[in-house]
Parts: sequence; C-alpha cells; structure tokens
Amino acid sequence: MANTDLALMGHLMRRAGFGATRDELEAYAARGYENVVDDLLNPEKFPPVEEDLIQRYYDSKENPILAAGVWIYRMVNTKRHLEEKMSLFWHQVFATSQFKVKHTRSLVAQIKMFRSFGLSDMRTLLTELSGDPAMIFFLDNHTNLKEEPNENYGRELLELFSMGVGNYSEEDIKMAARAFTGWTVSQPIPVYPQGGHPAEFVYREEEHDDSVKTFLGETGRFNGGDIVDIVARQPATAKFVSRHLYNYFVADEPQVSSWHDMPPHDPGAIDALSEAYTDSGGDIRAIMRVLLNSDFFKEARFKKVKSPAELVAGIMKLVGTHKTPEAGITEYSTATAVMGQELLNPPTVEGWHTGKEWIDGGILGERVNFAADQVGDVTKPGVRSMVDRISASGSSLSPDETVVACLDVLGPVQPGDETRAALLRHATSAGTLRFDSEKEREKSSAQIVRMFQLVVASREFQFA
Amino acid sequence: MARPYALLRAGFPFLKTIGMRRWNNFPTDVALGNEGRIYILCRSEQGLVQIARLTWDDRNLEPICMGRGSEDGQFTWPVNVLVDRDEHLLVSDEALHRITLVDRDGGFISKWGEQGDGDGQFDRPSGIVFDADENVYVADSMNHRIQKYTKNGEFLHQWGSYGDGDGELNMPWGVTIDELGDVYVVDWRNDRIQKFTTDGEFVFSLGRSGSGDGEFDRPTGVAVDQDGDIYVCDYGNNRVQLFSAEGRYVEQFIGDATLSKPARDYMMTNPEPNRMREMTKLEPGKRLRSPKSVRVDDLGKMYIPDYDSFRVQVYQKEAIHLTPDQIAPPLRSPHLLG
Repeated sequence: MANTDLALMGHLMRRAGFGATRDELEAYAARGYENVVDDLLNPEKFPPVEEDLIQRYYDSKENPILAAGVWIYRMVNTKRHLEEKMSLFWHQVFATSQFKVKHTRSLVAQIKMFRSFGLSDMRTLLTELSGDPAMIFFLDNHTNLKEEPNENYGRELLELFSMGVGNYSEEDIKMAARAFTGWTVSQPIPVYPQGGHPAEFVYREEEHDDSVKTFLGETGRFNGGDIVDIVARQPATAKFVSRHLYNYFVADEPQVSSWHDMPPHDPGAIDALSEAYTDSGGDIRAIMRVLLNSDFFKEARFKKVKSPAELVAGIMKLVGTHKTPEAGITEYSTATAVMGQELLNPPTVEGWHTGKEWIDGGILGERVNFAADQVGDVTKPGVRSMVDRISASGSSLSPDETVVACLDVLGPVQPGDETRAALLRHATSAGTLRFDSEKEREKSSAQIVRMFQLVVASREFQFA
Repeated sequence: MARPYALLRAGFPFLKTIGMRRWNNFPTDVALGNEGRIYILCRSEQGLVQIARLTWDDRNLEPICMGRGSEDGQFTWPVNVLVDRDEHLLVSDEALHRITLVDRDGGFISKWGEQGDGDGQFDRPSGIVFDADENVYVADSMNHRIQKYTKNGEFLHQWGSYGDGDGELNMPWGVTIDELGDVYVVDWRNDRIQKFTTDGEFVFSLGRSGSGDGEFDRPTGVAVDQDGDIYVCDYGNNRVQLFSAEGRYVEQFIGDATLSKPARDYMMTNPEPNRMREMTKLEPGKRLRSPKSVRVDDLGKMYIPDYDSFRVQVYQKEAIHLTPDQIAPPLRSPHLLG
C-alpha cells in the first residue's frame, strides 16, 4: 500500500476527526480517499457512540469536568468522526462558557445540538443557536426585553457568529437586538436543594418588540428568525464562515479579532469555500465536501497546531485506552484544561486563541509530558500493538529502519531534518534492534517505546 | 413467614424524602442499618467517594468518606452496598474489581476479588446480595455471570454466559434473593429480569425493551418483598415497576418527592432559589431521575435512590393478606361488573 495514500489519509483523519491507528488508516486507505470523505460527510451511515455505556459508567449531568471528560471519550470512540469534530468546531466559534452559565446540563445540551446540526446549514444552526438556553443565558438575551433591549447577543451574532466586523452598522446591532426580544428561557427548578433541571427555550410574545425594523437594508416587523434568514444569505457570512472553516480544518490563520484588518493567507481557498456556501444556500456539508477534496486541504499537512483536545484524544486513540468507559476520564479533561483548553469553558465569547497561541513554554511541557507518559506505557493495548507490529516486521531493525517504523506507526509523522537526525542519533546509540530471543525482544521493545516518546516529544508532533 | 395466598392491594402511597444535595450527592444505592440508620452509597467521578449516614428522623450522622483510590478501604466506582448482621458494610466496586467489607464507621475489615474471568475473579462486579446464610451473590457484569461466595470471599459457584437466550446474560447489574432462595438478576443490556434457582437453574424471564408497562430501558436494580412482589428499578424510564410474584405487572412509581426536612431547613436561608421555585413548574422536581437501585424492608417500605436528585424516595406498601375464601379463584375471562 502506497505510503502517500496512508500519509494523506492520516492527514484527513487528523483534521476531520481525532486521528486514527495504523490499522484504521490502512482500512481507510483501502477504501479510497473520496469514499472516506463521503463517509465523513454522512455520519448517519455509522452507529453513534453507545449511550447506555456512558450513562452506566459516567452518569453525571452536573459535573463540568466529567462532562468534558465524557466528550473526550466520545471523540476517542466515535465512528462519526467529522460529526464530532464539527461539534468541537462550533463550540470554538459559538463559544459559550461554564464560568457564566454555571449550568452543565445546558452546556451539554448545546454540544449535543452542535453534534446534531453541525453539518446542516447556517440558517438552521443560527436558529438553533438563537434558541439555545446556554447561549441565551451566556449572552444575556434572557434580559433582552421590549422596553429594555440588551444588545449583547445581537452584537455577537453579527460580529462573531456570522458576518464579522465591518459588514454591519451599530444600527443593525440595535435592530437585531430588538428582533430577538422575548427569546428567553424557562426558569428551571434551582440546583438547590435537589439537583439541577434542564432549561428550555421559551418565546415570550409580551416581551417582544414587534415594531418595524430596518436591518441590513431590509425593512419589516422582524423577529429573530427573520434576522437569521437575512444574515444567513449575506455574502459576508459566506466569507466569514468559510474563513472559520479554513482556519480550523486547513491552516492556522491570525486570531479572529484581526480578520477585519488582515486578509486570509489563501484568498483563493476562501473564495472557493464561499462559492460553495452561496451555491448550496449555506450548507455546511457541501462546503466541507469542497474543502476536504481540495488541493489546498491535501497540501496543508502539518500546517496546524493541534488543539489540546485534538492532541489528547489523538494520543488516547493511539494508545488504545478508554474504548469502553474506564475510571479516571476526568484526568483527560483536566489535561486539556491544563494545556489551555477547558472544554465547556472557553475564556471568552471569541473562543480560544488557536494556532501557535496554543503553545507557550509551560504548556509545551504539559503537552510533551502527557504524550510521552501515555506512549511510554507498554501495558496500554495500543502501545503494545504498535510495538508488536514493529517487532514483527523482521528479525532485526537497523537504526534507520527503527526511526522510519516508529514515525510511520505514530502518524505517519513527517519530521524535519533536525528532528530526524536527532531520532537517528538516539536509534544509533541503541544499535540494531533484534527480536530473536525473548530477552532481545524485551530489550528492543523498550527501545521502541523510548523512540515513541521521542517522536511525540518532537516539535513536529505538535502539528496536525 | 409463608407468602400470602393473595393480596388486597390497598395502596402504595409516597411516604418520605430522605437527604438532599451536599448530604448525599449522586446516591447509587441504599442499605438499612439498625436503630433507623440509613446508609446511602454515593458515587462521583471526582472528589470523595462516600457513604452518607442519615437516620429515619433526618439526622446527619456524618458520612463515611472512603477516599478515592485502590488502597484498602478506598473505592473508585462503588455500585452496591449491603449491611450484614453485625452492621458491617459490604461494597462492590466495578473499577477495582473487588468486594470490600468495612465497619459502620468505614474502618477497613477485608477485601476480595481481582480482575479476570476465572473462578473467583471479576470483571466489573456490580450488584451484590446476601442470602439467608450471608453468602454473597455477585453480578459479575463484564463476565456476564453470577458468582456465589462466602462472606469471606471463598468462591462457591457460578453460572451464566453472554447472550440473550434463557439463562444468558448481558452485563447484569442488580441482583436479589427472595425468602425462598431464588435469585433475581437484572439483565441490564437485555432489558429484562431473570429468575433462577439458588443453583442457577433458569426459572423465568420478565420484561422486554421499551417504555410501556412491563417494559424496561436498561433496568438497574431489583428487589423482592416478603409477599413475593418484584420491584424493578427501570433506570432509562425513570421509574420503578412493581410485579406480582408470577411476573404480572401491577403498577409503577414515577416519583412523588417532597422536600426533605433538611432540604426545607436549608431553603429557609436561601431567598433566591426560593424565588426561582416560585417562577417555575415544580412537578418535574417530584419525579425520579436516573434511579440506580431499589430496596425494600420488612415493613413494606420501598427505598429508591434518586440519583440525579440527590435524595432517596420512600413509599409505603399497604396490602392485606387474603385467604382463599377472601378472593375468588382465577377468572378465565374479565368481568365488567364486580
């Protein structure tokens, strides 16, 4: 099987999912790139994660760290890879935070909504988002009332969730806010003394400003749904959403706050995605089909810094743990939080700062230590499997062959010259690995595991 | 006492709510001690694992904080708790694959079990129950079987294998024994209850997947009272269902909780939640949410650890034993007039 097929497939699964083991990559490569893309875009072909197991072992709807851990479990185990990746993407774009919402049930429900509608269309997504209890509370729309409008949601809808700065006026914000008056939530039973209850969207007509409004040049007695309709068909929305998708799935762009001033790295790619948006009426699946099949995507290997969730979930997939619920899942949500990504709790409504801002000196240490600890444990089934695979490739392995085999099974990872030279120096110091006797096999296995640790500690492994 | 010939079922009213948030978060099982002591096994993915110790008259005797881990006396994923004749507590742990005995203050006494599929080994042990001799039956869930031990952990017997046929199991959860020694197993992933003799011979199966009467959605617990009535904790349907000894559906319990006394006391100093309660429908607050087990005592009380609502709901059975001259023989066809 051509390595280029595998390398490309590894790239696809890192970006459209959370990575894959070598065995999985071989199966995908045999299926063919276009078919795998089609599978990714049609997640309903595959069974969902087994909910009954999650409820049996991880049942807690009030603990945000556990809820985040359960989400990582889903990332590791889902067969609907892109569906899950899109839920993480929309969590970044439509950032809603536990620090203010303080209602884990609502945040979990929001992620479930992203999972359900993440590959639908912008109009549907923005409608769902506008009626989402966590979002309503996060951006104060429950206090957006006819006589006392609150512009928070209206502003962020235009600035961060659809068109971007420079494509609307302050008056448009005011009109959007007035259109969303009355879009609120039901009062749930309070958390004390006997547990939280879900909140639900409620439309209070008596709190709605039904006056005539002019928004983006159109005039009418607009309600929130009308604002969504108008926004969803704007060319600015096509461009903004396309740039978000490019930034997340193709290559790191500058932070969103500078998009008004800094053009995209690849304007042609953004134009292609925008065209797909316009031609399809904002259908995310259609845009992603263009993106995943494009040359600009295929050529963008290792051009994105892995987010902490991608790093952690990807490592967990490699080492083969948590294929059924196991104790300690919160260790992994705590790990992503320490690395700068506390799931369900982005720092602001802009989401996390991504790309190279995922990494600073301290965080790099956390990322490297986590990865090295995981792949350094040969009792983990995936590590054992990778070692056995390499051990079975012959009765001995030269230093060069050892490096190639380890890079291959962990990605494939494409190191630069400096990293490759360092790996080769280490492999040379260990000498040729032999597998003729039990003793030699054991010694060689230890050397392979050390090589795994060096690979995941490399600069290149931080990139997807 | 022999089972009654028949029952006049007069009612099964709600009796009491026990506990509240902070006292007993995420109650997964309950066991009754002497002198009104109630042990509530609490499970949580973070923080302390604990057994809350409350009393029938709403006193908090302070929890036993077990500590999360694998050292002696620690727990990670506790499932069920039993009280023995000495009021020691037996706890199953499905992450540590072992059974632990502690005294009523949490002092470690003994433990047994290790992970595996051989005799005397476990893979996620969940439900446990004493028989009349204080032997222990264990639902060995990932091995899809029931194992029997002495209280000291000496292996005696096992039965079961993976499947959905009669006598086969799929990740069993709760287990109980009636006064005649028959064993009832919650066959979790088959959405049914199976009854066996004490040696594991299949007797009957009860239930199927669904949400209707007599149907289950991932049932978790089972209890049998002195009349032979069978109680099934139907987790996915947020209810407990009651069946006769023959497996006939009788009625269901969806939760009728009030605020417990400590909850009321707590709320008297919390104006904002009090206002929030005045702004919303309170009916959902009564209902069972993700109940994990069901227990019955000799006085006809049914205890349901109401997992998502941090409390135990208690109902009281009101039934009168009937003799053969007090109830007509079984009718072949229904009658409209009575």
